[in-house]
Amino acid sequence: MKLRSTNKRPVENPKLEMTPMIDVVFQLLIFFVVTLKQEDILAHLDVSRPAPVPKARQEEQVQDLLQITVYNERALGGQGVSVQGRQVSFRTLESHLSRLASYSRNLSIIIKCTGDSYHANLVKVLDLCAKVKLKNISVFSM
Amino acid sequence: MARIRRDLAEIDMTPMIDVVFQLIIFFIVTIQMEKEYNPDIELERSPHGPPIEGKQNVLTMEVEINRFGWISIHGAQLTHKMFRDIMRNRYNRYGQFPVLIRADKKTKHKDVKAVMDICTSVGIWRINFAAVKEERS
Repeated sequence: MKLRSTNKRPVENPKLEMTPMIDVVFQLLIFFVVTLKQEDILAHLDVSRPAPVPKARQEEQVQDLLQITVYNERALGGQGVSVQGRQVSFRTLESHLSRLASYSRNLSIIIKCTGDSYHANLVKVLDLCAKVKLKNISVFSM
Repeated sequence: MARIRRDLAEIDMTPMIDVVFQLIIFFIVTIQMEKEYNPDIELERSPHGPPIEGKQNVLTMEVEINRFGWISIHGAQLTHKMFRDIMRNRYNRYGQFPVLIRADKKTKHKDVKAVMDICTSVGIWRINFAAVKEERS
């Protein structure tokens, strides 16, 4: 009799304990939110690399094209670009290029880079060319 | 006498857990733990360049040059000779393929030239430079 009475105590109805699961899930969520990083949008600047031709032929070939030289601005001053041998600022170069682009978009641009020039300057020049939509760009190295 | 109905005081957790699980699954699927590129390379900005959209040509070879002139592909550093061999094998297999150079803004041109010369010696004349069009972070 005694045994039966103890057995009759109402059983607590089994319930799933949610708290630890929610804790873990929130931890995961916070981790992913914090580690997620938006990536930068990249641009691609296309150039063509001319075939290695003898120096003399190179000179005659480039006669009536625009030549931009990219050099190391720390060594020579200015902003790191010169057009037809004259040091210019990027703003001047831009107006120059946009004037040329208004004549023809297919005009060839030759960018000559000195070995110690920074890549940043080349990219800036290419960006200006992309801005005025000039397409025919070749990069020479000096 | 006063019977408190306990279940009235409880919040129903199910919708919240549903939402949280959805979020977690979203983040697990979208996260890329391994960076495919070298985080030390700082690209120059180019706000006017044409954007690289979505998945580009699968054949594209991305070459990274850091500011000391070291070449790497997908995080693996290479010597010039190894790079040349890789490019030549790839060219023999696929023919022309796009080359994207991710060079740090402080890279000297002679290091970029070395990479471009290897490309041209293999037979690739079109070269793309990567730059940041729009910063998101």
